[in-house]
Amino acid sequence: MRTTLITLLAGVGLAFAGPAAAAKLDVVTTIPDLADFTRQIGGDRVEVTSLATGVEDIHAVPMKPSFAVLLNRAQVVVLMGLEAEHAFLPALLEASRNPKIQRDQPGYVDASVDITPLEVPTRIDRSLGDQHPMGNPHYNLDPVMMKDAARAIADGLARNDPAGAPTFEQNLAALLAKLDANIARWEKEAVPLHGKKVVSYHPDLIYLCERFGMIPFGTIEIRPGVDPTPSHVADLETRMREEKVDLVVRERHYPAGLAETVAAATGAKLVELPVMVGGVPEAKDYVGLIDYNLHTLLKAVGAG
Amino acid sequence: MGYTLRRGRLVAAVVLAAVAAVPRAPRAQDDVRRELEEMKKQLRALQQQIERQQAIIQRLTAGQQQAAPAAAPASPPPAATTATAEDEERLRRQVTEQVLRRIQPSLAAANKTFPAQFNPAIGFVIDSVGSYSSKERSNFEFRSGEIGISASVDPFARGYAIINGTQTGIDVEEAAIVTTSLPWNLTVKGGRFFADFGRLSKFHDHDLPFVNRPIALDRYVDGESQADGVEVNWLAPLRQYLTLTAGAYNKMGADNTRVDNTVPRDFSKNTYLGRAATFFNLSDANSLDLGASLAYTPKVEEDGGAHRALSGLDLTYRYVPLSEASYRGLVWGTEALWNQEDRPLGGAAAPASAAASLARTLAPGLLAPLAGPLAPAPLAVAPASAPAGFRQHNAVGLYSYLETRLTRRFSPGFLFEWAQDVDGLRGDTIAYSPYLTIWASEFQRFRLQYTRLEEPGSHDNQFFLQWTVILGSHVHTFRDR
Repeated sequence: MRTTLITLLAGVGLAFAGPAAAAKLDVVTTIPDLADFTRQIGGDRVEVTSLATGVEDIHAVPMKPSFAVLLNRAQVVVLMGLEAEHAFLPALLEASRNPKIQRDQPGYVDASVDITPLEVPTRIDRSLGDQHPMGNPHYNLDPVMMKDAARAIADGLARNDPAGAPTFEQNLAALLAKLDANIARWEKEAVPLHGKKVVSYHPDLIYLCERFGMIPFGTIEIRPGVDPTPSHVADLETRMREEKVDLVVRERHYPAGLAETVAAATGAKLVELPVMVGGVPEAKDYVGLIDYNLHTLLKAVGAG
Repeated sequence: MGYTLRRGRLVAAVVLAAVAAVPRAPRAQDDVRRELEEMKKQLRALQQQIERQQAIIQRLTAGQQQAAPAAAPASPPPAATTATAEDEERLRRQVTEQVLRRIQPSLAAANKTFPAQFNPAIGFVIDSVGSYSSKERSNFEFRSGEIGISASVDPFARGYAIINGTQTGIDVEEAAIVTTSLPWNLTVKGGRFFADFGRLSKFHDHDLPFVNRPIALDRYVDGESQADGVEVNWLAPLRQYLTLTAGAYNKMGADNTRVDNTVPRDFSKNTYLGRAATFFNLSDANSLDLGASLAYTPKVEEDGGAHRALSGLDLTYRYVPLSEASYRGLVWGTEALWNQEDRPLGGAAAPASAAASLARTLAPGLLAPLAGPLAPAPLAVAPASAPAGFRQHNAVGLYSYLETRLTRRFSPGFLFEWAQDVDGLRGDTIAYSPYLTIWASEFQRFRLQYTRLEEPGSHDNQFFLQWTVILGSHVHTFRDR
């Protein structure tokens, strides 16, 4: 009887306890874009898990207790910063009871530290919607800014694993070279997009527009994070027709119906884009994400 | 070539000097931030300009080398190269030092506002309910104006307070200290807070998924699980989420009149809590929260010195499709409670309960000047007439609700409730409540609810319109998920 009990308890223990701790740096990132970069920079020295899968709205990633467990065991957390993850990360960090990854600790790696954000509000007021006081946080769609994020990640990894610093530096250089080569290609490919006016559901395409010469015209949301009213939609459609807006972009985590209606009413082309790595099967990594987005946009304007 | 480089440096120096000559008078922090951003942009532009010029120089140099490979040396003399590198380094140092010197007053000005930034984050919730009941007719109820304050205390703890003003007075609903850096995944909470019993008993009224607190929680927990005491919570270091809580309090339940919260007592008259909670990630979109709680009081004076045990099981199933989390989803939440205690024959005496209830809702400051029956002293007094005896009575109750999210704005739901009487003097109460929550935004919410209340010998039709808004700081907490 006692043997059976011991065997049972051991079985339960094995089921609940994970594999023995490895020597690799345990890194948790908030989004897959950061996970992709962290894997490339960290190489064999890191074990990376992303909380989001890439199909989510970064402002509405479910706050699962299982995430608190992942963060409890993590040595490093890598985040977008600029309060992009305000809806889930601060509470999860507190629930994780992990002092190593709390804000201002070495394990807290904010990829936005060298980013100069766009749309920094000059006035903070809830009448202006769900504002981000530090600026628009969706910089992951700008590959040039993501070079700064990559540097911040490499610095963060080196801070937590000083012995790996030369490896991280070497891998960072390779990643930056790869990005530079792709950026040069993307800038050439994106020429037909220059001057195209874009309406998106939420203001999360501004960095993509800015980088590739498109003009962000407006959003279907009446204010960031606030669903539109009928009068806002009517006004937007009128202005879109007057200004001959070319594209309506539905970020894939927003409802399709309204974006389709607006596009149909104004003659603009409707495009559906992912905003994170993993948002569509083709966006397997960061280069794949930007490739997919640009090629989809180019196809919509007849240049693909 | 050298001239081009020198001219580039000269332009850089002139622009930098112009940038640095920005007036240094004290200004608002926003202005300072914008100025710093502008400086960063200009610096970056300068850097890019220098890089471009260097690239031109290199191309020109390479061109010259190709044009006259034999006539001229392939590269400048080593001494000249070293001198150029040293010049560049010196210039870089000078520019950096100059920029730092120039922005220092702006940084100092920004720093002057920092003491105000130590103020805690403050939020304010207004909760208002208009209702009509076939029994009690219409009522516009200002249910609460609730101030929430929170901040770090030091590297080891944070503190928060929820101060609630209602139609009848002001009450400190919570004022607690929570440790933030204990080892072994431990957290200790002390002060006044909502004890970790069940799920919705820890929610403030305005955070509930429906208009009113479920009857079972109101009867057995007696309102929110408010408690003065200490609580230890442990996150098990496993891959499976599991937390265990142990607590010791004067009593549990904001409206619990069995025990006087204001007088010292033996340990046997405290309430002790144990809770285990776990979570199963069934798939990316489906999950299950499970919890079991027990609040045990060894000796309850009102129950003739007998013990009281309140047990609860809670289950929350969620369907949240990841790509549509903002506008699609489903929650099924159920709690079942079992109350075991000796109750006075004929029920608890009303006068003491009423006085205690009044005392809780009125601020102590308001009570102090009062004399006579409203003064605090009678609260410690036993019921006016002693009960004829006590008998053990077990009461069971539950609620179960299903809520769907149809769009970002509309979430209909249905709540079913069933609860037995704590004293066993009356029959069971059953209620059915369809409701619709309408989110104008994340910070403004309307709720329409109809409740069919069936009590022994009577029934009531109740209609509610709730309007809730949040001002200022609003934090998404793990407790209220």
